[in-house]
Amino acid sequence: MRILIADDHPIVRHGLKQMLAADPSATIVGEATNGDEALALARKLEWDMAIFDFTMPGRSGLDLLGDMKKEFPGRPVLILSMHSEDVHGSRVLRGGAAGYITKDSAPQELATAVRKVANGGKYVSASLAEILASECSSDPQKALHEKLSDREYRVMWLLATGKQISEIAKEMGLSPSTVSTYRTRILRKLGLTSNAALVHYAVRHQLVG
Amino acid sequence: MNDVAQIPEIEAEPRADEALEKAKILLVDDEPKSLFALQELLSQLGQNLMVAQSGEEALRLALKNDFAVILLDVRMPGIDGFETARLVRSRDRSKSTPIIFLTAAADEMTAMFRGYEVGAVDFLMKPVIPEVLKSKVAVFVELFRKSERLRESEDKLRRLAAHLISVREEERAHIAREIHDELGQVLTGIKMEVGWLAKRLKEPALLEKTDSMSKLIDSTVQTVRKIATGLRPEMLDDMGLIAAVAWQAKEFQKRTGIRCRAKLPPEVKFDIDISTTMFRIFQEILTNVARHARATRVDIELTLGAEQVGLDVVDNGVGIQDNELTARKSLGLLGMQERALLFGGDVRITGTPGHGTRVSVTIPLRKPK
Repeated sequence: MRILIADDHPIVRHGLKQMLAADPSATIVGEATNGDEALALARKLEWDMAIFDFTMPGRSGLDLLGDMKKEFPGRPVLILSMHSEDVHGSRVLRGGAAGYITKDSAPQELATAVRKVANGGKYVSASLAEILASECSSDPQKALHEKLSDREYRVMWLLATGKQISEIAKEMGLSPSTVSTYRTRILRKLGLTSNAALVHYAVRHQLVG
Repeated sequence: MNDVAQIPEIEAEPRADEALEKAKILLVDDEPKSLFALQELLSQLGQNLMVAQSGEEALRLALKNDFAVILLDVRMPGIDGFETARLVRSRDRSKSTPIIFLTAAADEMTAMFRGYEVGAVDFLMKPVIPEVLKSKVAVFVELFRKSERLRESEDKLRRLAAHLISVREEERAHIAREIHDELGQVLTGIKMEVGWLAKRLKEPALLEKTDSMSKLIDSTVQTVRKIATGLRPEMLDDMGLIAAVAWQAKEFQKRTGIRCRAKLPPEVKFDIDISTTMFRIFQEILTNVARHARATRVDIELTLGAEQVGLDVVDNGVGIQDNELTARKSLGLLGMQERALLFGGDVRITGTPGHGTRVSVTIPLRKPK
């Protein structure tokens, strides 16, 4: 498998090479330090897959990915990025990448990604999969917390971030008993029975940050 | 008219900035004798004195010059003083130019009323008393000077603010990039090295060490990301304003528990400076909502037209009061306005007590200059 790599940071290219060296079937045929160079190498060399940094000097990111997909439609491009999945992940996949992997991923994960992509598959990390899933089910209307009123939603959020009833009452200018009533209603609407379950729900649905 | 001997400036005050351009004064009188006398008197003020012998000539001069004051004879053949004054004041450029009418002593009250109607600020009876004329004109010259200076300093302040904004933005972007790219990449490199090391280690105690090193690196990377994004969200540069607004709204909801609903056009990228301006204004609006509004909901709408980009942010909080809008301390609001103004845009804020606040921003897509 002939691999083209592009990253403007020598240290990352070095790490990549080291990691790929462990895989006897992988050969690095070209190394680019910026987007334009990457594109030029891709035109000149024989290669099977590309591993590109998302942010590089010159043409980069989605623009570079678009060019690659246009010129070499059949060949997979794995995007390596400093950015966490929730920022760019799904856009990069939609842009035609065969996979998106963050640079802080474990080395084994990168090896897995390379193997999977080389075999014609798509690589999606566990955390990106979760984001994609929540985007798909982003029939947001369907989520239980969408049934909460705006005020209930905020009380839910305050509870999920560990605020006491009295604190919430003060913050929202309500009486503690009203807040308690809200809490009961929220738990009922979300089908939960305790504050702990509520915290869990909020974290799972990425409602708290 | 220029054969008048220069009389030394006896009354001129010592000026701090001699470099200041002389103020222009227009003197209009159809009677050569009277004109000559007045000219001689006024030349003592040391300003740039221009003369006209008819209303038509005066209008021509007023088209091309900004006068500190116009001295206008009421009775003239052709266009008389009142008509001249009316025409001068009807033009935007000279609509607030002070006019002093010169009238013959016999003129009655009605003439004076007419004069005030067309924008006279004073009347002087002929023959004029030199001291009175000079001191009155001097007052207007001084006023003109002061407002000129005020305009200049306003202009300077605005340019300075604009400069500061762009410098700060550049610096933020630069630091964010440095932190994120350089520091982040080095951490990535270290992480890879640790991974390499771990693969060759057998001893559990050592593996435990590499494992904890790896975790420390991860959390440092998270911190680096957080700092860089706080300085300048990478979204803005990579994906454009619309994606950045969507992201910021989601973050805001996560961070504050205030529900955000965003109505956005399909993602496209356009001018980065305009995008940055809009994005910073958006952030400021959200900061204000979180701080002051006591809202539980924010509705965001971004519209992208051929000519302009518009942003509407409506919350359901307590509603901003008019006195808060004008309060001197509302620097945040002023900052938004200034930012928008740099690109020829504008920010409108309206509050209904008890029913929330609406902030509407529009910025033309074509940059000024």
